Amino acid sequence: MIAQLLLTIAQGVGLTLYVTGASLLFGGAIGLVLVAAVRSRIPVISGIATLYINVVRVVPPITWLFLIYFGLPQYALRLSAIQAAIVGFSLIASAFMAEIYRSGLLSIPDAQREAAHALGLSPVATVGHIITPQAFRVALPAVASYAIGLLKDSALASTIGVREITYYAQQSARQTHEGLLSFIIAGVLYIVISLVVAVISRRVDLRLRRKIGVA
Amino acid sequence: MVFSFGTRTPPTALTGEVVVSGLGKSYGASRVLSDVNLTMNEGEVVSIIGPSGAGKSTFLRCLNYLETPTEGTIEIGGARVVAGGKRPDKASLDHLRRVTGMVFQSFNLFPHLTVMENITLPQRKVLGASKEEAQEVANKLLKRVGLPDKAEQYPARLSGGQQQRIAIARALALSPKVMLFDEPTSALDPEIGLEVLAVMRDLADEGMTMIVVTHEMHFARDVSDRIMVMGNGGVLEIGPSEQVMSQPQNERTRQFLKAVLDR
Ligand SMILES: Nc1ncnc2c1ncn2[C@@H]1O[C@H](COP(=O)(O)OP(=O)(O)OP(=O)(O)O)[C@@H](O)[C@H]1O
Ligand SMILES: [Mg+2]
Repeated sequence: MIAQLLLTIAQGVGLTLYVTGASLLFGGAIGLVLVAAVRSRIPVISGIATLYINVVRVVPPITWLFLIYFGLPQYALRLSAIQAAIVGFSLIASAFMAEIYRSGLLSIPDAQREAAHALGLSPVATVGHIITPQAFRVALPAVASYAIGLLKDSALASTIGVREITYYAQQSARQTHEGLLSFIIAGVLYIVISLVVAVISRRVDLRLRRKIGVA
Repeated sequence: MVFSFGTRTPPTALTGEVVVSGLGKSYGASRVLSDVNLTMNEGEVVSIIGPSGAGKSTFLRCLNYLETPTEGTIEIGGARVVAGGKRPDKASLDHLRRVTGMVFQSFNLFPHLTVMENITLPQRKVLGASKEEAQEVANKLLKRVGLPDKAEQYPARLSGGQQQRIAIARALALSPKVMLFDEPTSALDPEIGLEVLAVMRDLADEGMTMIVVTHEMHFARDVSDRIMVMGNGGVLEIGPSEQVMSQPQNERTRQFLKAVLDR
């Protein structure tokens, strides 16, 4: 029985990873643009970016998903469930990732920029070779824990019919009346994936720490 | 300790490796630097001493435009920048930073790069040196600062004194004409500071033009040709090291020296 349920529910792992991974990737990239916009010297640009980040973060993820999946078709923008989930989660992830990058950047002491300027490094070289690599190392644990948070949130995609882990668990529960077992199995799958992410990030973090020491 | 007073001759004409005139800096209404003048010959070493808040760091940081001075002119090693009006163009600022090297109190090595990378990255990005050229220069300089075996270490693994010597090597790798030091030993134990001072002394002996903000009175007296005493955003007095130390002309200099030497 357990084996049967596991086989069924594990079918959702692929889409769970796909939705989470794609959203993290797109969100991470958009977040870079956002953090640049927030730090822009042009008030309109930094204002809009800040507003975006704050609005996106306070609206619940499920509201975004419904808005995009059920709301947008009214304006002739019809997305598949998977597309809608990725768009929604990318939107949300971009705002959170921008905040993570921002605190990473803030953690780099001004003295690093000054040293780079004094050596005559260009602003581009300073950002590319001095600031970003250090900010990335600072931000890594926060990125990993956000990735795990996003993984959990991705269960919400089941509400618009994306066939990920929670979707299959619901289905099995309904068909086999093994509700408890179905959702325990789903929970275990999330735990396993989270553990893998946590272990990898911890490894990378430790390696970096051992190498460069804790600043 | 070797005493070597007055081995170099002070400058006479108003041309030199460094010509700073009328330099001033205000933050809004508060004036932290006013009418600072300094002319130096090639190979000269000037120490800047003075009480906390005198404007020593501000002066030094204006010289390579880490701070933007609000008035005056700076000429260093062929670069010339006029403060006050519109911000100088990028080319003159780049030039100014090319001819100056700076060493900070807190070393400011790049912690994510090895010692070798710390020294080669600026050469490659600023001078366009090849990897091999940059490494050759780095290896020579590491030998010169007494750390030939630390190339592959990360800064966090090194002592403060070692980090500061690497920071000196990193600056020297860009062949600056004038080296600026802002209290290079203040963050170090006195004993460790000595190894850094020894490197600086060698550098001075080899003819590097140096401006050194320091609280090390021995260094100021023994190594530098002249001492400039700052107070309250201005120059209290400047003269041959020996003379400033033994017969200061300014009352506030006397008070400052007494306070420092009695400690
Ligand atoms: N960003 C700033 N805004 C306003 N005032 C400033 C600023 N930076 C420095 N000052 C002021 O400028 C004056 C000179 O400071 P500076 O750091 O140059 O002194 P210093 O001689 O190097 O002192 P210390 O020996 O403590 O390093 C101080 O009174 C300081 O408060
Ligand atoms: Mg200072």
